[in-house]
Amino acid sequence: MAGRGRGRGGSGLSLTTEQIQALGVTRGDNAPPTLVPPPLFPKLEKKPLPLICDAATDYMLIVKDQFIEYLHESPAFVKVKTETDGVERYSDKYKMLALDAKQNKLLDCVWVNMPTELRPQAKRPRTVPRKRKLDDPEEIAKRLQTLEKKETLETDEAIDGKKKELNNENVDEEEELEDEHEQEYELDDGTDYANNYFDNGEDYEEEDDNLDDGPVY
Amino acid sequence: MSHQLGRVVSVILQRYFGENVQKVGDDLFTYGSKPIALLVKSTGLSRIKVVESLRTLLKYDLAMFEPTPNEVIADYRLIPENVLLMIRYPRYLLQIKTKYGSEAEILIEELLQKACSTATVLLVSIAVKYKDDKEKNMTIVKLKDIFISLITAGYIQQASVAELKEGSEIPTLVPVATITPEIDVRAVIKIMNSGNLAESSDNVYWKVNYDRFHQDIRDEIMIKAITRRIDENAGELLRHMLQHMYLTSPAWAAESTLVPAVELREACLRAAADKPLLNQYFDQYLKVLGRKKKSALRVTEESGCGTVRADAGGRGYSVRGAGAARGCLLALLEGLVTERLGYKAARIFRIILDKKYIEEDDVQKNAMLPNKECKELSYKLLEEHFISLQPMRKTASAGGMNKAVYLFHINLHDVAHTVQDMCYKALGNVLRRASHERAAHARLLDKQRRVRSIVHGMRLRAEPQQNIDDVEETLTPSELAVLQGVEKRLKQLSAAELEIDKNLFILKWYFMYTH
Repeated sequence: MAGRGRGRGGSGLSLTTEQIQALGVTRGDNAPPTLVPPPLFPKLEKKPLPLICDAATDYMLIVKDQFIEYLHESPAFVKVKTETDGVERYSDKYKMLALDAKQNKLLDCVWVNMPTELRPQAKRPRTVPRKRKLDDPEEIAKRLQTLEKKETLETDEAIDGKKKELNNENVDEEEELEDEHEQEYELDDGTDYANNYFDNGEDYEEEDDNLDDGPVY
Repeated sequence: MSHQLGRVVSVILQRYFGENVQKVGDDLFTYGSKPIALLVKSTGLSRIKVVESLRTLLKYDLAMFEPTPNEVIADYRLIPENVLLMIRYPRYLLQIKTKYGSEAEILIEELLQKACSTATVLLVSIAVKYKDDKEKNMTIVKLKDIFISLITAGYIQQASVAELKEGSEIPTLVPVATITPEIDVRAVIKIMNSGNLAESSDNVYWKVNYDRFHQDIRDEIMIKAITRRIDENAGELLRHMLQHMYLTSPAWAAESTLVPAVELREACLRAAADKPLLNQYFDQYLKVLGRKKKSALRVTEESGCGTVRADAGGRGYSVRGAGAARGCLLALLEGLVTERLGYKAARIFRIILDKKYIEEDDVQKNAMLPNKECKELSYKLLEEHFISLQPMRKTASAGGMNKAVYLFHINLHDVAHTVQDMCYKALGNVLRRASHERAAHARLLDKQRRVRSIVHGMRLRAEPQQNIDDVEETLTPSELAVLQGVEKRLKQLSAAELEIDKNLFILKWYFMYTH
């Protein structure tokens, strides 16, 4: 037991002589306290070979930079909306000029090859004039009929079935997504897991406390 | 799809197209295919920005779409390989410039910038751009000729055409065979003078054929390798062989169809009249090209042994593309091991490669290195996954010492994947570091750019030198020194990108034949 434990020492509390030797601290010198922070990157054992820097590479680099410049100037480079801190600056005038020049440029694409949702006219999917369901007198009559039936048969599934039929009568398919969304909403009302029961806890809307401190003079 | 590949793709998109496109690209890479609504939700960008980013990605062929079961919406998917190809654009341009001249290069550059365009629009925009440049002297006729010659050579191909399947609003892109067009020069000139690009009735769209460029690069690698290994005449011979090969077999075949030796000899006699040695020792050269085992000459550059194989009767020769790819890959690996771990490790690597399966002690015997060093290096090689271990149990009788013997061997496929990952990581680091440098010195770089453009404008207007000096002095000497350092570092990093891309090309070429 003692023999086997010798290598490991006193379970990490202190190091045996073997371990100290393995760490590289010999008996002679005392490891001087290091005052310099360790280097950021480990030392490279083998330096890499030098890069080829001939005329061909130079030319390629110039060409690459030109290409990237072109891309940055084109509408292909999608700009991030930078937040201003509300302070008016002298350079704003020039920045606005530059922005306005590029503002309304549409990227030049082959529109036929792209799906309809990407084309310029389809950019606003919700402003397609929706056929109001109650404009048509036929629709009104139908709706009244179905509401009557709804009162007589009082099963959830029947209601859902009728609602789905009403939805399908709409030719505009893009509304389908929204209607399904509405359906889910109505499903929620009948169950116990509605939003009203959620208790946000005492600390939920008390973040405003810190703003009440006001300016300190 | 490795993590490193995702990182590289992300950084490339950021460098070329900005952060929004980077976000969209990242999302698509992680989740595969997604429709617009999900993208809007997960990236947090507005729908307009997402749409713009998708337009950019689709235009430059970096993403594709397929219709979902709901026929109006499409699922978008990123194509990582094409994103990596963007690094290679300067190489294509250099290639075209050396082969066809600077006008052709301008054509290809314009087409790369536009990604996909009709012939009329292309020619008109180039003519308008270089109208003032008297020394280039571009005419529509000349441009048109060059354009047609590039099409016949295969560098430009027809873009895929959209077809609407019934019931779906999402087009499917169908590739179309390239037919040489008839371009009416007068109509083009009329449009150029009128300045209205929308008038052209040209409906055929063209784009750059990357595959053809890759073919050229591959040929260049093979010929250069053979020239370095043997000598120039052999390089010439290989060039002729490749030309013959293109007449009959597909460009990327693992092994081409046979080229009759007689034809080859005649072609060489005709073409290389100033290389008498080639014709004299024609047969010998063919034999040397075909030797599978490495010759006694130890070469650390690319090697292309096993490139040519003769058929039984010696009547014809075929070019082995797969063999050449393998040879280049091995040379690449050796170079890599030498650079990372030293020439002794490379020696060990070569020995293991040679013997296929070898024990640790035998390695030490063959390498003639001191024992401790040999062991240390072989374990380092193992650590970096250049070699792998194969255990073999020598089952003695039950109760005796079941000594397991471990053999070193090289699994080329796995090593190639490891190296590819290494390359992706390196490329990602290089680009990331470059963007960090640019961001750290953004103000200075911007100032330098503005000073340069102002000075350029002043020179054009021929203002007095005093004013120009005044403007240039706004950049203080210390700023200039900092800028010089930054520019030097950025240039190095850019050159490094191209180098890594060269290696990636060889790796991809190798993978073409093993999958």
